[in-house]
Amino acid sequence: MYEIRFHGRGGQGGKMAAEAYALAAFLEGNYAVSFPFFGAERRGAPVKAFTRVDDKKIRIKTQVYEPDYVVVLDETLIETQDVLEGLKKDGTVIINTQRKPEEVRLSKPVKCATVDATGIALEVLGRPITNTAILGALARATGRVKIESVEQAIMEKFGARLGRESGEKNARAARMAYEQTLVGTSQGGKEFVPRPQWLPDVHEMPIGGAIGTMKTEAGLIGIGSFVENKTGDWRTFIPAIDKEKCIGCRFCWFYCPEGCISMVEGKAEVNYDYCKGCGICAHECPAKAIEMTREVKA
Amino acid sequence: MIQKLERKKMVITGDYAAAYGGMISGAEVVAAYPITPQTLIVEDFATFVNDGITDAEFIMVESEHSAMSACIAAQAAGARTFTATSSQGLALMHEMLFIAASLRLPIVMPVVNRTVAAPIGIWCEYNDSMPQRDTGWMQMSCEDNQEVLDMVIMSYKIAEHRDVLLPIMPCLDAFILSHTVEPVEAPSSDEVAQYLGKYEPVAKLDTENPMAIGTFAPPEYIQELRYHNHMAMENAKRVIREVTRDFARTFGHDYHGLIEEYRCDDADVVLITIGTVTGTAREVVDELRERGKKVGLVKLRFYRPFPREELQKIAERVGAIGVYDRAVSFGSGGPMFIETRHALYGHSIPIMNFLAGIGGRDVMKKDVEKMFEMLLEAKEGKTSKEIVWIGTRGVTP
Ligand code: SF4
Ligand code: SF4
Repeated sequence: MYEIRFHGRGGQGGKMAAEAYALAAFLEGNYAVSFPFFGAERRGAPVKAFTRVDDKKIRIKTQVYEPDYVVVLDETLIETQDVLEGLKKDGTVIINTQRKPEEVRLSKPVKCATVDATGIALEVLGRPITNTAILGALARATGRVKIESVEQAIMEKFGARLGRESGEKNARAARMAYEQTLVGTSQGGKEFVPRPQWLPDVHEMPIGGAIGTMKTEAGLIGIGSFVENKTGDWRTFIPAIDKEKCIGCRFCWFYCPEGCISMVEGKAEVNYDYCKGCGICAHECPAKAIEMTREVKA
Repeated sequence: MIQKLERKKMVITGDYAAAYGGMISGAEVVAAYPITPQTLIVEDFATFVNDGITDAEFIMVESEHSAMSACIAAQAAGARTFTATSSQGLALMHEMLFIAASLRLPIVMPVVNRTVAAPIGIWCEYNDSMPQRDTGWMQMSCEDNQEVLDMVIMSYKIAEHRDVLLPIMPCLDAFILSHTVEPVEAPSSDEVAQYLGKYEPVAKLDTENPMAIGTFAPPEYIQELRYHNHMAMENAKRVIREVTRDFARTFGHDYHGLIEEYRCDDADVVLITIGTVTGTAREVVDELRERGKKVGLVKLRFYRPFPREELQKIAERVGAIGVYDRAVSFGSGGPMFIETRHALYGHSIPIMNFLAGIGGRDVMKKDVEKMFEMLLEAKEGKTSKEIVWIGTRGVTP
């Protein structure tokens, strides 16, 4: 049996990728299971999904703690998630990035495969939906399923939902990623500091779970704690407002799910500490004053 | 605030006793939706408000679901609340019951036990309250209207206790109590106010000091909260014993804790009853005793928390135990029977289940006699029946 952990963000389709990979493995005569683990379901929030593949029935129902492969759909997750956690000794991490494996810095040097799945998705699909392209990279890095099976799985899963043409485009994205994937070794030395968690035992847990504003080892929790939750680090795309074009209609201010747009002297302004880059503002702006561009973080 | 009310004797319905109990306990917010046979409780409370006897906020709602929602919100804001329901109304409230209990809000809600459709019936059956077993509410049954009034008052004392903080439903049988008048002695408003004191919430919604309750919680948090609720229910046993003792000293009526034993001391067999059948069964016990049969009665007052320890002590001294149930858990047996057998695991005496009075069918003295007769046979090893349907046409008991 081998196990895969997918790291993505809510709305990026990590769960679909994990399922499509399971289907590809199944099409080759394997037994495969796949399941997601959601936190607070919210666009942009870190989410995980898992796939297990074996040649016999899989009975275990736990999450995957010691994966053979880790797939990172969004390279910004490396900053906040311990993507190498539990990775097996000879395990491989597959990352969506414009960088080469040797340019990727992780907590230790590991087998690493990289591909610019976002670039491919933008080119082939016209949208930054990377969950099919990344499967091509995964097939390449594992060598455990044929790219043809991945294409077939994508056709079945995505084609059925989005139509034949869209299915074919997604399959093409996977094939392109398969061909462009670079395999090497990452750099190490970038220490990962896990965010402390507030885990009260039965004696510390407030009665009825009623929580005011509380300072804990994990920072502020409860009322007003959102101030400390800087959702800006969820961003892969960044909005830029052209103040010349902005007519001050407040549509973006009204629709922004993070409430991070304010009106300054009649024009919209974004607080990038909290902007998670969802693009809703750009979609709603009647004056086309907001442009979303891909953000590259150091 | 309520008007000054003197100690008095009244001849009242069980519903009136429930409403009077809520009012004299100083309920500040009432939200309820009428349903037969609880309707009188809502009407009587509305009359208290209309007549200025209490200045409680009476909220008219469009369903029982909303009634419970309103009580949850009011209790979370720090008010002492009161509501009442029955049958389908309780079923409609179901999802909100969990929330009230998990938020640890000591809401008091008399439930008039009425059959849940189909077919539509308005008479007594416990298939409304007993399926609420796992919502986290305390649940008990009354034998007469005096107990209804006293128990509503005690309910606040138990529910608001710091070691408990759980909602409670004191139950009364449809019509047999709800619409039956009998003499009831009510304490004065001063006595009750002194006995209960002010409701002091542990945490409350307050704009000056904001608080979040009932928010989203991932698996890292929920299990500890469930443990809290389980322990609160275990604590409730001790608190109930203390409160009934204290109530007896203060008001002179003794309810003996979670159960009451009647002529059990030297009994060969005992029957566990619940609700109004208890009164009838007392008569039968006396008559059988006169005929030299050593039978006893255990009045089970609390279904949640369940009096495990009390029943274990009784099982040590008797030769057979019968459990009367007015509801069926299909495919297993009567709810109280299931609980009793679980509590008495390891005891080798026969334990029998008697199902009778379902759908409000009258449970007569001869029915109770039959139960004792079969128990005495079981003690002698003459029957090994377990689940016995009494008075069901075409079914031999
Ligand atoms: S500012 Fe725009 S991109 Fe940023 S969170 Fe708000 S709506 Fe989304
Ligand atoms: S929606 Fe566009 S035009 Fe309207 S306030 Fe926002 S940026 Fe300006």
